[in-house]
Amino acid sequence: MFEPATPLERKRYYREEWNVRDLPDFIADNLHMREFGFDHNGRGPSDRYRTFRDERSLSRFMRVRYPFAAYSSVAFYREPGKRKGWQRSELIFDVDAKDLPVRSCDCEGVCPTCLDEARELVLMMVDTLRGDLGLDDIHVIYSGRGYHVRVLDPEVMELGSEVRAEILRYTAGAREPRRKFTDGVSSYEMEHFSIPLGYHRVFTERARHVLLHLRGDEDIEDVTARTVKTAVRNRDLILEDRWGEFRSVIGPRVYPRLVKGISKINMRMLDAKVTIDLKRILRLPTSLHSKVSMICMEVKNPETFDPLKSAVPRFVEERG
Amino acid sequence: MVSSLFINPFSEDAREIVRKYGSLDTIADTRDELLEIGRRTRGQNLADNSLLPGSIAELAVKRLEWYLRRQRKDFNHRDYAYLMNPEIEEYDVLAFYILAQAAGAGFMKASREARLVVESAGAMVEDRLNVLGSEREDIIADVLYELGSEGLRWTELADLLGSGKLKLTDLILNRGRVIIDRDEFITSFQDIIRDRSPDRLYDILVGLEVRETMISRMIMQRTEEYIGRVREMSSTVEVHPIILETAERIRETVERIMSFTGGPVKSARPGKLVPEAFPPCIRGTLDGVKSGNRNDAIVLLLTSFISYARLYPSVFRDRTPMKVSDLDPDLRITLGEILPVIYDAADRCEPPLFEDDPQEKLNITAKLGFGVHDMPELENEGESKWYTPMSCEKIKIHLPDLCRPDKLCSSISNPLTYYNRKRWKLRSRGEKEE
Repeated sequence: MFEPATPLERKRYYREEWNVRDLPDFIADNLHMREFGFDHNGRGPSDRYRTFRDERSLSRFMRVRYPFAAYSSVAFYREPGKRKGWQRSELIFDVDAKDLPVRSCDCEGVCPTCLDEARELVLMMVDTLRGDLGLDDIHVIYSGRGYHVRVLDPEVMELGSEVRAEILRYTAGAREPRRKFTDGVSSYEMEHFSIPLGYHRVFTERARHVLLHLRGDEDIEDVTARTVKTAVRNRDLILEDRWGEFRSVIGPRVYPRLVKGISKINMRMLDAKVTIDLKRILRLPTSLHSKVSMICMEVKNPETFDPLKSAVPRFVEERG
Repeated sequence: MVSSLFINPFSEDAREIVRKYGSLDTIADTRDELLEIGRRTRGQNLADNSLLPGSIAELAVKRLEWYLRRQRKDFNHRDYAYLMNPEIEEYDVLAFYILAQAAGAGFMKASREARLVVESAGAMVEDRLNVLGSEREDIIADVLYELGSEGLRWTELADLLGSGKLKLTDLILNRGRVIIDRDEFITSFQDIIRDRSPDRLYDILVGLEVRETMISRMIMQRTEEYIGRVREMSSTVEVHPIILETAERIRETVERIMSFTGGPVKSARPGKLVPEAFPPCIRGTLDGVKSGNRNDAIVLLLTSFISYARLYPSVFRDRTPMKVSDLDPDLRITLGEILPVIYDAADRCEPPLFEDDPQEKLNITAKLGFGVHDMPELENEGESKWYTPMSCEKIKIHLPDLCRPDKLCSSISNPLTYYNRKRWKLRSRGEKEE
């Protein structure tokens, strides 16, 4: 498992197992408007600006060239072969299990534990995108080493990078939540966990995820190693939703620094560049992630998805 | 009785006033009633007649003058008390449109003058909301309704969110809707609010603060859009001479109040670059950047950083928008010192930036405020905005590979602040050694 695929295995995959009809509709329907990119030797997608008129021509290419990796643009262009005439772009969130700054395993690349933690994160993000931001056309893709969340609601597809960065901060919990409020007469200080709605609730959920998965040896900006260890030692309080007590244990003066540090970690839980880049190419669902021999695929039910059951190509099972 | 006109120049009633006014020929005529309102405004300084506007055209310029002076230490609000008097509202609506039209007809959309007019509209709303008494709640509700806040989705605020005027994390969202109304807040969240009354939480989370911020930002946005529309139209429609005269007065007023000597930006003198004080991200960019980060590093980060570090390092302290030519009138420093630093760094990239993307030279010129042209030229200034250096938070998103923070980085949030602080440290260390 997670071993690279040989050229022969790639060839077998694209000729015997892969079928262009398995492409998700959101890709197939706009195939002719997307730029495609391919990596033929494992050194990155150097074969770019490719276009396909229809599924048949893509299918022929894949079967003949059986690329190391296949990508398609998140952008729709009038002239995709020249990357000209940008029309709109999917809104993307990229969670790579191997790059999670906080994960409970200590594997070198990816393992079932960190993949599952990436999936937990994705579930929370999808909840926020639906519940808070009211978005519906959301697709979760298992990328081979993590997950892509692809949003195609028309109202977000024309947004620029700056607004996308703002959505990213909200969805990832990557901004320090506001503590000071005023009702026009008096001012108040309230911690994120005492506000059960809006961004404060999002942040509390993300902070819970981080704190529950800390190993204790992580660096959190502006927070001492001792505080990190105290947080890990007392995280049962968070599990029981006793945030007030947790804050007291950390100390009321240190706690805001911990919150700030967590907001910075939250930003690193995703690859922010992918979200703000309007012309990114992204691994093509149904294609093979040859570095780890896993299939990049749309996840119909993220709650129950297990990549080790659903995304393993036949040739891996036959390796013995 | 105060009406929403006092706050919102974009209401149907306000437009009706403008429609009914008809020809602009009388807009510069002296209005006794306007002078009278000024004279009887409580607290108004009456020692100097020139403080009171006699005509609608004068009132338009006074609105901007108020905003520019308001930022200065010697500002006396009694000089402009009449602007906070609701009796002025009908004249003021007309003055608002005269000012906005003059900004659109006389200046580029991204010019400092147009930006100041937009900012003044937002500031005026904020200050006026503060002087309202018991009617404040009702006026806020009316204005929000007029601005289309009912059933508002966050995506409709995309321009405000993208420009940084509003933060998504400050809004209360539910299924895509921005929750502003008290009843909607309670209906949406009463099941999940425990240990606290939903009403109380509404007052704290949405209350006046968020709603007022939304009003001022939405009015700024509308003003900006209006100026843009006027700009477009002014190329095909002949502009009324009074509008052009007002534009000229805007130019004079901005120059007079914001000039170096005696202005609010005394500290903004250009100074020589001190490379030893550059933060790690800038040093990394100057060493040359690989293709993944290259374009953004040179065009977005380095161009703004070097130009501000050289010409206007105190921009975040003074908060006064300046043009490059305010600080470098003949562009000698820009062409002779700033651009060479940027171009050299671009050449050190891998592959060299301009070999790969020659059009990025145009983008660099644009980021300095001179529009999309090969080189900065005074006649093109204002076609685009002179971008301030991006914050550390943005660098972490756009250029994460360049962010290699050192000890000083932890206490700052913008590379220019790092530069100023390090420069000060180097200077004081040097003085001690002497």
